[in-house]
Amino acid sequence: MRRSLHWTLILSVLLALTFGVAACGGDDSESGEQGTNAGTPAEGKKGGKLTALWAGDTDNIDPGITYYQMGTQIIRATQATLYAPKIDDAAVNEPQLAESDPQVAEDGCTVTVKIKEGWKFSPPVDRAVTTKDIKYAIERGFFSSVNNGYAGPYFGGLDGAKVGAKPGTKIPGIETPDDTTIVFNLKPGEGADKCAGGILAQALVMPLSAPVPEEYAKEFDAETSSTYGQNQVATGPYMIENNAQGKAIGYEAGRRIHLIRNPNWDESLDNRPAYVDEIEVQQGNDDATVMARKIIEGQGMITGDQPPPPAILKQALTQQKDQIALVPGGSGRWISLNTTVKPFDDLNVRKAVSAGMDRDALRLTRGGEAIGDIATHYLPPGLAGYEEAGAAEGFGLDFMANPKGDKALMAEYFKKAGFSSGKYEGNEKLLMVGDNEGVGAKTAEVAAEQLRGMGFNIELRQVTHDAMYNKFCNRPPSDTAICPNVGWIKDFSDPQTYLDPTFNGENIIQTNNVNWPELDVPEINKAMNDAKLLTDPAERAKAWAEIDRMVSEQAPTVNWIWDKDTSLQSSNVQGVIDESNGIWDWAHSSLK
Amino acid sequence: MAAYIVRRLAWVIVLLFVITLITFTIFTVLPAADPAALRAGRQPSPELIESIRQQFGLDDPKPIQFLRYIQDILPFDNDGVNFGFSVQSNTEVLPQILDRLPATIFLTAGAVVLWLCIAIPIGTISAVRTGSLLDRVTMGLALIAISAPVYFLGLVALFLFDEDIGRFPLLPGSGAYQDAQGFFGKAGALIMPWCVLAAAFAAIYARFLRGNLIDTMQEDYIRTARAKGLPERTVILRHGVRAAITPIVTLLGLDIGILLGGAILTETVFNIQGIGRFAYDAIVRFDLPVIQGTVLFGAFFIVMMSLFVDILYAFIDPRVRY
Repeated sequence: MRRSLHWTLILSVLLALTFGVAACGGDDSESGEQGTNAGTPAEGKKGGKLTALWAGDTDNIDPGITYYQMGTQIIRATQATLYAPKIDDAAVNEPQLAESDPQVAEDGCTVTVKIKEGWKFSPPVDRAVTTKDIKYAIERGFFSSVNNGYAGPYFGGLDGAKVGAKPGTKIPGIETPDDTTIVFNLKPGEGADKCAGGILAQALVMPLSAPVPEEYAKEFDAETSSTYGQNQVATGPYMIENNAQGKAIGYEAGRRIHLIRNPNWDESLDNRPAYVDEIEVQQGNDDATVMARKIIEGQGMITGDQPPPPAILKQALTQQKDQIALVPGGSGRWISLNTTVKPFDDLNVRKAVSAGMDRDALRLTRGGEAIGDIATHYLPPGLAGYEEAGAAEGFGLDFMANPKGDKALMAEYFKKAGFSSGKYEGNEKLLMVGDNEGVGAKTAEVAAEQLRGMGFNIELRQVTHDAMYNKFCNRPPSDTAICPNVGWIKDFSDPQTYLDPTFNGENIIQTNNVNWPELDVPEINKAMNDAKLLTDPAERAKAWAEIDRMVSEQAPTVNWIWDKDTSLQSSNVQGVIDESNGIWDWAHSSLK
Repeated sequence: MAAYIVRRLAWVIVLLFVITLITFTIFTVLPAADPAALRAGRQPSPELIESIRQQFGLDDPKPIQFLRYIQDILPFDNDGVNFGFSVQSNTEVLPQILDRLPATIFLTAGAVVLWLCIAIPIGTISAVRTGSLLDRVTMGLALIAISAPVYFLGLVALFLFDEDIGRFPLLPGSGAYQDAQGFFGKAGALIMPWCVLAAAFAAIYARFLRGNLIDTMQEDYIRTARAKGLPERTVILRHGVRAAITPIVTLLGLDIGILLGGAILTETVFNIQGIGRFAYDAIVRFDLPVIQGTVLFGAFFIVMMSLFVDILYAFIDPRVRY
């Protein structure tokens, strides 16, 4: 999706080089799972080496910084977080380092967690983990030298927590009465008597809750930009290969990541089987076709950060079924309609657009049925609240009922909006900004064509993916009417992580805004703010499912697909998908 | 000669400064992406963006940021020369470039030897036997080689000969260089990249040499040499090729400089972790210090090779004096 930006930039670089010369004089389908390996892990064989082929590097090697899929994959093998999603059920969290479920006070202002005894840090720290290490791990997420991306949204309610704090700053709201107990004290929001302990308890599955030994890490964290990542210690079954001083020699940025067994890991404390002896990540596999063929035809290999291209996917679904896994990705794609720009400030116009849009045609631009289900509401499969929101059936909203579009219903809604012809009759230019390359560009073009067929005067501007976000869709002052290439993925299995950033009117900001339709409905905002304070996961799921209904009824986007993640493995690999992360889990996969 | 070299070296410094300024301007004043927002994740608060800006000094005035970068590339502060720190991996840029340099040098050197070994004989024979079947066939093939982009040729080569996925699994392919051990192992892993990289260059050089040599062979001094009764072989090689090859040396010098700065496409297709690949990754990640470092390094090679070529001229062509 970013490729054209890259080529633009490469051209810029080449231009600069040329100047030198001259101056010298010289993801998918029904909500069920296709393929295999996407279910309960089977017993595996011990030993061997697993090789993952990646195109790029992880977003960051530091467990306190990483926020994305590949970083999470590494953390799930090298660290013990307080809780971890069940490997084959993304909606359920299990204790990992913790002894039992978190105890959340009724008012949500206190969350207490007990941890198991016996966990140890890998060399060179070689000592037992205590709750002080978890306290420090979360504190450092707020350090200006670390700047964790999700510490604010999920842990920001802790008493005394402040984004961008000086390294070494303590958070008084985290207490460790003894070595196995940690208490998180939150402060209530302004004018409220309850706290956001519910979401904090759920967020303890995130990498930030992996313990970090302060006495070892503080010198790295004291630098302007922490170098703990390159010197990290592990608590999981694997560790990045390091030297006697702790330097992670197994991490060569942009080249490779080499994981070996953590000699201090105690398998009796952990439910991860850790079958293979070592894991090697080979980076630089940019060509998806070459990468996919190497995996299918080779031995001991698995995919990483890029799915197989549509042609290979098609072939694998028929010829190598046991080498492919398709699981719901906990994400969705939308064509956002800016509710502050005419005519999308009219609910009936938005409903007409959703009703008339052939979402199946949009899905074909990405590879068809295999890459995901047509969405019927917002919360995607694998996320708490999905079942409560009616699962695949949804809420029975008429304008979302027909994947191929319903022209008669569209006309009906346009008539309700005052357009007697059954089509949009205004002729003002509507700015639509989409990707300029890859499947995103195709989606944008197909969407634009359909909108023109509905009577809209669309000015489609196709720009690089980053420019699309930074100059248009993420900037409300740009007054972009339609963004056809936006979407969202959950952070963890709590529906708040999906709906709050994207549809809560109170989150609209002038730059880096992700409430793309700028939906600002006071009733929805209030419902969200109330739901954030719920502490019981079941109640939360129910409340957020209701919010899903409220948002869906507003038709702020054409909600067209729930993605599926596609992964490949060699024939001698018995891969197990981490359903919460949508990709292979190294600590559960094995060689046949 | 010494004064000339000193003068040129002074220009090199000015030139590298200008290139650094241009690169800095392109990636800081006119960027499509905000490095702080990219680093901040998916739901960045203004406070987080602000903190990241401070962390990486992105909120400083542009001239200050530029001066700080200049400090990083000059040995005047306590940190020495490090070309700054990668925003993504937070590691010094210069050691990473130097770490990747051997792969790029090996790739370039092998390809240069290969394309010269192909281009010089073919160009010479084609010039001497203009219009012959051999001339027509080789020049036709050269046109094809020039027309095929490296990216396309590389993928075709992989799908044909890669030992993992090729139709005829004969040679180590994508990613093989990284796994290969020892000089001969690495050389074996580079056979396919050498051939692909050399193909277009060999074709260009062969056509260039042919054209030059045809012109040269019409010169009066060639007729004189023949009139003196010198053997045709001596006339062609000593008098013809020697004169015709001078512009090739210029071209070669610049091409080597450019390739040492990173053969981006070849390194990307064959997953060779060289400087080009490093630059590509940095561009993808908008890692400004790495982009600046690789551009500066590439520019350094180009200007130095240009200087080297100019000096070499004096030895090749007796008419040139500085």
